[in-house]
Amino acid sequence: MSFASRRQFLRTAGVSAAALPFVLNLQSIAAPATSAKKKQRLLVMFSPNGTVPWDYWPDKSGKDFELKAITQSLKPFQDRMLFLKGLSNRVKGDGDGHMRGIGCMLTGDILLPGNIQGGSDTPAGWCSNLSIDQEIKNHLQAKDETKTRFGSLEFGVMVPDRADTWTRMSYAGPNKPLTPTDNPYQMFKKLYGRKKDNEVLASVLDDLNADLKAVSGKVSATDRQLIEQHATFVREMEAELKADAKVKDMGHKVPELEAGVREENDNMPKISKMQIELIVNSFLADFTRVATFQYVNSVGDEKMRWLGIEEGHHTLSHEGNDNKKAQEKLTKINTWYAEQLAYLCKRLAETPEPDGSGSLLDNTTIVWTNELGQGNSHTHDNVPWLVVGGGLGFKTGRSLAYKNVPHNRLLMSLAHGFGHEVKSFGKKDLCKDGPLTDLT
Amino acid sequence: MRYFAFLLLASSVALAAPDGPKLYKEQCARCHGDAGQGVKKKYDDPLVGELAVPQLAEQVRKTMPDDKPESLTKEESTAIAEFMHAAFYSPAAREKNNPVRTDLARLTINQYRQAAADLVGSFRLGTNKWTDGGKGLKGEYFGNRNYNNRQKERTDPTVAFDFKTDPPTSDGKYDEHEFSARWSGSFLTPESGDYTFVVKSDQAVKLSVNGDVVVNALVKSGNQTEYTATVPLTGGRVYPIRLEFSKALQGVKDKKPKPVAAFVRLEWKRPHGATEPIPARYLSPNGVPEQFVVGTPFPPDDKSLGWERGTRVSKEWDAAVTEAALEMAAYVIKFHEQLAGINPKDPADKRGPKLKEFAAKFVERAFRRPLTDELKAVFVEKQFTAANGDTELFLKRVVLLTAKSPRFLMREASDKPDAFDVAAKLSFALWDSSPDAELLKAAADGKLKTKDEVRKQAERMLTDPRAEAKVRGFLLHWLRLDVDRDLGKNDKLFPGFDAAVVADLRTSLEMFLDEVVGSKSSDFRQLLKSDEVYLNGRLAKVYGADLPADAPFTKVKLDTGKRAGVLTHPYLLSSFAYTDHSSPIHRGVFVAKGLLGVGLKPPQEAFSPFAASAHPTLSTRERVALQTKGANCQSCHTVINPLGFPLEGFDAIGKVRAKENDKPVDTTGGYLTRSGAEKTFTGPVELANFIADSPEAHAAFAEQLFHHLIQQPVRAFGPNRAEELRDSFTKSGYSIRALAADIAAGAALK
Repeated sequence: MSFASRRQFLRTAGVSAAALPFVLNLQSIAAPATSAKKKQRLLVMFSPNGTVPWDYWPDKSGKDFELKAITQSLKPFQDRMLFLKGLSNRVKGDGDGHMRGIGCMLTGDILLPGNIQGGSDTPAGWCSNLSIDQEIKNHLQAKDETKTRFGSLEFGVMVPDRADTWTRMSYAGPNKPLTPTDNPYQMFKKLYGRKKDNEVLASVLDDLNADLKAVSGKVSATDRQLIEQHATFVREMEAELKADAKVKDMGHKVPELEAGVREENDNMPKISKMQIELIVNSFLADFTRVATFQYVNSVGDEKMRWLGIEEGHHTLSHEGNDNKKAQEKLTKINTWYAEQLAYLCKRLAETPEPDGSGSLLDNTTIVWTNELGQGNSHTHDNVPWLVVGGGLGFKTGRSLAYKNVPHNRLLMSLAHGFGHEVKSFGKKDLCKDGPLTDLT
Repeated sequence: MRYFAFLLLASSVALAAPDGPKLYKEQCARCHGDAGQGVKKKYDDPLVGELAVPQLAEQVRKTMPDDKPESLTKEESTAIAEFMHAAFYSPAAREKNNPVRTDLARLTINQYRQAAADLVGSFRLGTNKWTDGGKGLKGEYFGNRNYNNRQKERTDPTVAFDFKTDPPTSDGKYDEHEFSARWSGSFLTPESGDYTFVVKSDQAVKLSVNGDVVVNALVKSGNQTEYTATVPLTGGRVYPIRLEFSKALQGVKDKKPKPVAAFVRLEWKRPHGATEPIPARYLSPNGVPEQFVVGTPFPPDDKSLGWERGTRVSKEWDAAVTEAALEMAAYVIKFHEQLAGINPKDPADKRGPKLKEFAAKFVERAFRRPLTDELKAVFVEKQFTAANGDTELFLKRVVLLTAKSPRFLMREASDKPDAFDVAAKLSFALWDSSPDAELLKAAADGKLKTKDEVRKQAERMLTDPRAEAKVRGFLLHWLRLDVDRDLGKNDKLFPGFDAAVVADLRTSLEMFLDEVVGSKSSDFRQLLKSDEVYLNGRLAKVYGADLPADAPFTKVKLDTGKRAGVLTHPYLLSSFAYTDHSSPIHRGVFVAKGLLGVGLKPPQEAFSPFAASAHPTLSTRERVALQTKGANCQSCHTVINPLGFPLEGFDAIGKVRAKENDKPVDTTGGYLTRSGAEKTFTGPVELANFIADSPEAHAAFAEQLFHHLIQQPVRAFGPNRAEELRDSFTKSGYSIRALAADIAAGAALK
């Protein structure tokens, strides 16, 4: 049943528009509109504590570059990659390096004064701006042809269960941080819970009909009418559930998640894969066109024991450049994150768009970033911004080197890529040169 | 074409109009009986339904007679349908033939919410217990920022503190820079609706309502010092609340901050209220378990007869029931270990039996009677097998099936109630909810047989907050104040009469109602005769009483000799008034219909009141008399006007006035009683005294209370039930509580 005919049906049945969401929340009702225009998607991936510059940045800029140790796993996607060296978070203001690093990363704006104290810097609160993913989400949700069921989805992996400036990167507005969902089962419920519920509902209807019949036989003929009306509505619901199940079978399958994976440090690789599976499927089903994917948090102290590293990531990141062992471990850690990205790219690349317009990766721009350039200096210069995939029309297969350019300009470019030509994003004086000029 | 059809129809009527009654007798009666009552072994069921004549005619033509369908002409089937419809088929005909019966009803919205909350709550200890109400919240004060090193515990009537740079209590040892405090306990919801909680603080705060964190402002950011959260809640219920407050820099603690000032306030905006510190009378320092709250919106219940009825179902209702069932299932799954008494360490072979035992109790309590083996097999065992070891799936199946079953959704319909029907009827009458454990035990023990036994239960149940909310809701309905009215007044004429004053007036009235009902005598007449009004500082300023500006609500004698109970309560008087002027017609209609039970027809057309500016020399009374002097109007307004005029001594905000337009107001009025006595009165006190002692008012009150509690027509319970209730009301010394118990017990046993 198509969207239009469902609406028509509801109108004929006399259900008011206000009551619409309550008619079983059938997914076909919330199905996205199809559009002739090519889909565009944005996914921002975050990993913490800076990178290891000499094992990350390609030596050469331009088309002719070679991948270093950290990004080796991305080799199959080299022509889809765009390194952006020389972008700096120049926002300044209250808060310590990690707080400003993550808080200003997607917002391009200062943190408000507050009560969160970090290191010896001034205390700060939440960011004073919304983040670029939300700006783009609002832009897409405002138009029928790009509107999706969720607008945006915030994924996480092992994000600590506390809301503070270090653990949030997306903002719906000033003082409105968004909480990433780092439990894959919870995310699964959000995406598919209603479908599962409807399946269970459909499976108990035989027993319910029998019960209605039994009760109906016990009351007087006049009273029976009420029960019979009720039974009629139950039968109608049954028919609608059946029709809806058919609609969904023509779409994609619900992904299967491994059961019983607990949220604990050592399960990080499993959780990461589960979340990636859900990201790919959300894009495939067009539940959303904007997503964020946050590994732990800024200052994250995850212990990658599966790589043989017993120390926490943040602890290691304070070690000096001359501590070879520590730097090797940091390279390993960042390599693991790059591998997650590579796996995500692979899954997107091997999944065709339902409308035949190439692969999901062709229409998805992934941006991998970090709150710092490097951990031991807490620098906000040369933050590792890496773009992979298509969708926004950036010319990939290149390594670009800027010179201390405010990252606000990249945030603007992302919006412009969606045809949303913002004049500035975040702190105004950092935007006066407009979006980055040589991306497209 | 249409013209032609009309001619044809007209001519056929003129030629030979088919004789409906005759045709029915010839064609239908042999199977359906002379009056559609049915014939044994032919067609048992009575011919009743909701179809309109043309639809019914078409059905008759297409399907009847049984042996020769479509043998009747259109005209003939129409004639039969017309006859059936008028004689016995339609709801109106049934009402006429058999005017007094109780209809099967589903749970109303409120009943659904209450019953769902109590069903889940019955698996937790102390659900909805209201103890030490009115004291405030438990306040705990700690010597550091992390809620340990406790220095002080006390009860705080409200949370409204400006600590400045000082420690929070004078005794106790606190760090110079940081301390924390926690206020916890429970709160009572006076009515159903949206409750907005407001936390105001310049420090880290976290508020939990009913177990959910609704304000999480541990991060203080920018200039924001106010946090709000709106929570839909059911009335007459007790929910847990907890506010945490920490004055300190959060995060990494490696720098001594400068001493800073700190404040915290906990406020709410209840339905029909203004934002205010949560009053102590709704707070208790004692904790209660959290409750399941149905969030799904339902289509509104039918109120066309003046009381909420669940005698109709609709597709939207069914969809809402499904949504709510899914909500309930998710909640039960989330808390299933706690509800089913499962230890997280229990092995699978121990969990299974515990889950089944829980499910059986859940179904039994939902259905309000012992679970038969037959039902247990379907609702528990069969679902357990189908779930194949999946706990979530098992619970979801059980809850969905139970919450959609007519055994849960439909009210007890039996004409010969057994003890469990009695228990359920009683609890829905007084609580709008299912019986509690004590009532079910009484039913099982055979202790709900006599009226005395049932009454005793009713009296116990009346002290429950759900009963108090229901009775208060009734009194507001009796006063016609249960609908939202615009109480905005002309700013220039009534400066200071703002939203806060309106909310205070409502509070003042509710406190008075609660006090009268809750008093030992629970005397109805006190509602009309009391010469005291609850005022606080703000109201005292508006109504001219001598109270300090910040005085809490206190009972004061206001305008000695000029006020009498609810009739002159400023909330009621400003409700029955225009923005500039009093409205003797609104007030008179309220007294006639609401208080005296006089049947009045609405006016034949809508009238706007004569504008005062068009009649500058006339008083309001004179304008009303002028506008309603026509013969058409007089049939009702001879009753209405003289019942409204005695209240002319109060202006549009219910403030006493001796003069209007510099002329003394005329407050004389009168009433011809149904027994033919001609009464006259001057001013509100004489009118109120007349109503307080009027058998008409007692009967009207009793009948309306009956309908509010039982939600079925009183005549269905015996032709003289209304009179019997009035007499027992009189005998009890007009005790409202005794009347409620009498009504509930009598109807439960019918």
